Amino acid sequence: MTEARLGCPDLGVGVGLRVPHYRHILDHRPAVDFFEIISENFMVDGGKPIYHLERVLETYRVIQHGVSLGIGGPEEPDTAYLERLKRLVDKVQPAWLSDHFCWCSADGVNLHDLLPLPYTEEAIEIVVERAKKIQDFLGVRFALENTSTYLNYTSSEMPEWEFIGRIAEQADIGLMFDVNNIYVSAYNHGFDPLEFVRNVPHERIVQIHLAGHMNVGTHIIDTHSGHVIDPVYDIYRETIAQAGAVPTLIEWDDDIPEFSLLVAEAEKARDIRSDALELKARRAAGKASATPDWPWARAIEERGPADAQLEGETHAGTVQGGWKQGGPRESESTAAE
Amino acid sequence: MGELADLQHWMARVLRTRRALAKDEHITREATERLTGNDRLRPVEQAEIYREQFWLRHTSALLEDYPGLSGVIGQGDWERLVEEYLTSHAPDSWTLRDLGNRMTEHVESCAWLPHRQLCIDMARLEWSYTELFDARDAPPLDPNKLGSIPEAAWETALIVLNPALRLLRTEYPVAELRRRLREGEASALIPDAQSQNLVLFRSRKRSLHYDVVGDGAFALLEALRDGLPLVPACERAVERAPSEAKAVEVGVGQWFQEWGRLGWIVDVDVK
Ligand SMILES: [Fe+2]
Repeated sequence: MTEARLGCPDLGVGVGLRVPHYRHILDHRPAVDFFEIISENFMVDGGKPIYHLERVLETYRVIQHGVSLGIGGPEEPDTAYLERLKRLVDKVQPAWLSDHFCWCSADGVNLHDLLPLPYTEEAIEIVVERAKKIQDFLGVRFALENTSTYLNYTSSEMPEWEFIGRIAEQADIGLMFDVNNIYVSAYNHGFDPLEFVRNVPHERIVQIHLAGHMNVGTHIIDTHSGHVIDPVYDIYRETIAQAGAVPTLIEWDDDIPEFSLLVAEAEKARDIRSDALELKARRAAGKASATPDWPWARAIEERGPADAQLEGETHAGTVQGGWKQGGPRESESTAAE
Repeated sequence: MGELADLQHWMARVLRTRRALAKDEHITREATERLTGNDRLRPVEQAEIYREQFWLRHTSALLEDYPGLSGVIGQGDWERLVEEYLTSHAPDSWTLRDLGNRMTEHVESCAWLPHRQLCIDMARLEWSYTELFDARDAPPLDPNKLGSIPEAAWETALIVLNPALRLLRTEYPVAELRRRLREGEASALIPDAQSQNLVLFRSRKRSLHYDVVGDGAFALLEALRDGLPLVPACERAVERAPSEAKAVEVGVGQWFQEWGRLGWIVDVDVK
């Protein structure tokens, strides 16, 4: 373990806890640095979800990631939701807890999506005030994650990195830095991912997410399926080289592979993380260039080629069943044995 | 209203639109004011990505929770049913687990639906399963406690049923039908009406099961669920199922043993 970031320890490289792996994990208790759970899947009264969580907690360090807070919505966050979340925090005792820079509901309608916020002063003010209160209420370090977005608002007044960095600093919270989401949004909107990485408060990055996605030509959808592609690992390497040893997690939520494959992806990330820490040291000693060379990033900014050739792989079609946040919830029809 | 809230109210309305947004000139114009678009997608096409996902996400969540209902009515009617459901019952809970919580009343209101009573029974059954799946756990009945209850105390004792148990009287044998549909019998025939007393419960191993019981046992379980002490519960059961008066009288001791073993009874509360 290295230095704590905002009091959050370096837990290493972990993976998301997903229903299809429960049996394997509980039977074999494989070595895993840490698991991330989707809080909402365990904000229930009892039954299999709670039973499985308690068994996992016997062996592993677990942190919490939420998808339903909707911190930037037109209404204040739901108190009943926050109370349930707090009860789960008391059970899990995570080293930190995260959700997203987004909104989920309006007019009493919950869209169950991570809807983008416009990058405005008004939104900063609203999110900062709520984030402070939530962090106090939960009694644990709170972090917000940059999302993958598919639209841009005419009302935005600043780039995304400025928006998230200012909120993190003003609210004194952490950043959950999803480098796949940076890639997806950079592709969708044509910005320079390196500028994103350079211009956020690095000491506030408490965790990194890595995931696969689906390129449909006109845009990329953040499906959390498939391997992490090389350009995303490039952004990851650069983030570590600038920010240091940030705990990292592989998210894989659709077409979930065998557990061994997921662990292999985590091992790959671990190797890249080690290399990136060496790069950081070499840069500090003036022995390495401070600017990485990313031909793919130039192509993104120049908006060409506007299809998946950029990544050497094409996925056609749309995302059946909606894009996934945290994989299937454990229900009567998806439950583990 | 602030600018942000105004934008969000617009989005919440537009993303729930059933038809492709580009077909609506008014929305297309509004989108141009609110969204930038880019060199690959027009503003309205950017919003369309989220609209499409709204429907995919919610219809697939309902399909996951109602495999029996969708199996009974077939794809065409199922699509119409969920479209109408999501239009008249917008998702209002933070958890998708609650998405189908008004399906029974919706099915009741769909006059066009074939086999409607069967569908109502199926919807009630499947919503019960969703509720039971993550209902509160209760420690099992302590056999020592049973032995220590004095004879006289039984008369007023409260029999506590498992919080993960539901009693459902149906007009069609839907539990059996659902099991067959889920085992892949796509062509499982629509059964004849045949009323059943179903006890749905979560076992000690946390999987869901159903049992069919007689009128007397069912009436007794209902009385216990309603909080009646043992003796008044038996009296009400006999009243409601007079033809089974004898069965209640003779069966109650054996039933209790069985129900304790199955985990239906989790405690006896002696006042
Ligand atoms: Fe993420």
